[in-house]
Amino acid sequence: MQKRKKMGIALVLAVLVLIFAPFFSGGYWTKVLTGVFMFGITAEALNIIAGYTGYAAFGNVGFFGLGAYVVGVLMTKVNFPFLPAMLIGGVIAALLAALYGLPILRLKGHYFAIATLGISEFTREIIYNWPSLTGGGNGITMPIIQRSPEWINFYFYYLNLIVLGVCTTCVWLISRSRFGYTLRAIRGNEDAAMTMGINTRNYKVLAWAISAFFTALAGGIYAYWFTYIEPGAVFDLFISVKMWVMLLLGGGMTVLGPLVGAFLFEILSEIIWGEFLFIHAAVLGVVIILIVLFMPQGFMKLIRQRIGLATFLANIRENRVT
Amino acid sequence: MSSLLEGKKVSKHFGGLPAVDGVDFHIAPGEICGFIGPNGAGKTTLINLITGVFPVTGGEIWFRGQNITNLPSHVIGKMGLARTYQVAKPFSGMTVRENVLIGALHGKSGRGKTMGEASRKAEEIMELLKLMPKRNIDMAETTIPDRKKVELAKALAMDPELLLLDEVMGGLNSTEVEGMMEIIQTLRKMRRITVLVIEHVMKAIMGISDRVVVLHHGRKICEGTPGQITCDEKVIKAYLGERYAKAKAQEGNV
Repeated sequence: MQKRKKMGIALVLAVLVLIFAPFFSGGYWTKVLTGVFMFGITAEALNIIAGYTGYAAFGNVGFFGLGAYVVGVLMTKVNFPFLPAMLIGGVIAALLAALYGLPILRLKGHYFAIATLGISEFTREIIYNWPSLTGGGNGITMPIIQRSPEWINFYFYYLNLIVLGVCTTCVWLISRSRFGYTLRAIRGNEDAAMTMGINTRNYKVLAWAISAFFTALAGGIYAYWFTYIEPGAVFDLFISVKMWVMLLLGGGMTVLGPLVGAFLFEILSEIIWGEFLFIHAAVLGVVIILIVLFMPQGFMKLIRQRIGLATFLANIRENRVT
Repeated sequence: MSSLLEGKKVSKHFGGLPAVDGVDFHIAPGEICGFIGPNGAGKTTLINLITGVFPVTGGEIWFRGQNITNLPSHVIGKMGLARTYQVAKPFSGMTVRENVLIGALHGKSGRGKTMGEASRKAEEIMELLKLMPKRNIDMAETTIPDRKKVELAKALAMDPELLLLDEVMGGLNSTEVEGMMEIIQTLRKMRRITVLVIEHVMKAIMGISDRVVVLHHGRKICEGTPGQITCDEKVIKAYLGERYAKAKAQEGNV
């Protein structure tokens, strides 16, 4: 109880700091934090299907790109306002995830992972080859926001913070509900779950649809924030890699893990970027390898145990492929 | 005759191999019915057919007057049929309490329960199986006997009418076996649960079953009370062995 109280106080403080941070942090760090939130949304969304349900949705970037393009097309072609366009993007992504999920959520493990990649590439190809609607390879330039740069910084900072807050709350509610426990049972043993009367297909489809919804919201925000999108950028597989690294860094199946992961990853890559301009990708790669070796279960688990050689060896023993 | 569960000429072939070969069976409400037979006799396959894990090759299975042949296993689970697995299938990454809770949230009546009600149901079952002291242990850290108990607890939390137990006593010591026998008898008495038991522990199955069905090479070779079974020539030859029969006979003489 005492521990929970402490956690609660720390959480409230963290939220307060984040709410007031842009007033003190200056433009640069405000932008960095905005990025943390935006990718935090995608990592937290991934947590629902990959963390709680145990399905390696490696192609979630497809929904990110889709969300970006729905916003792009609606705003430039039919003068739609941004926020409704973003929500429509989320809904379309959720419906498509359900549609794709019906056949491919029958696959497990790496087969499912590869199928999700296929779907992401498929979505990208359609957008690339439909220039009359999407601009094809030329991409879409978004309408310019007629406001001061400070206003824009604040706007995207708080928009991302709010969506992240909603997404995290959603995951928190799921984690305590019948739905969440059932997802964990599917992860734990799907056959056993089925004989207990669980229609696993429906649960998995719903989990992936929710995941796609939030991922697409982040994509929609990206489009408006970066003011220009093209298929190569918003369907970049590195975005999927990033979600996964954040999820693994922080720890799946925990509500706050993906946020911690997003924070650590972005801050880390900012620092490394600053220190090692030319070989920053290599250094970041080494750091990621070390992190996965030493804490494959993520930061949230790590704070409960001590770091040392024993942990390291135990982790390798537990997670190696035999 | 009204059976709770009835199988008509149930068959399952894997490739050319008949694992279950035209078996007729019926289980009356409130009965404890034992299924025995040597390894590979088709006992576990039969349970897999009843619970919809595999489709049947031939025959029909009826539960409470409804044809449940080849229904998806989650539909069968919702109808009030619960099973355990011979090799326990715990929900890994979850605690003992959470494992049992899943049963209470689903199965026959879990859908109508709130989280609080399901939680209480899970606690009641864990109380019964003396799992309360271990409720917060992660499944990865439990012992084999505990896993067997959790397996049973998960099935019981589903509020079943018919419980299919696939070797829940395998690997338990004699005290634990006695404890398990007591639990199964209590279940029948207190909750009117019908039980189908597969077991290799003879003392246990003969002790609790009202009726025993003997399978051999996928066929039913004998059926009767435990007393009748132990005297049957075919059963002794196929499964029990001469030594068991002699020991039984001597016991009778004393």
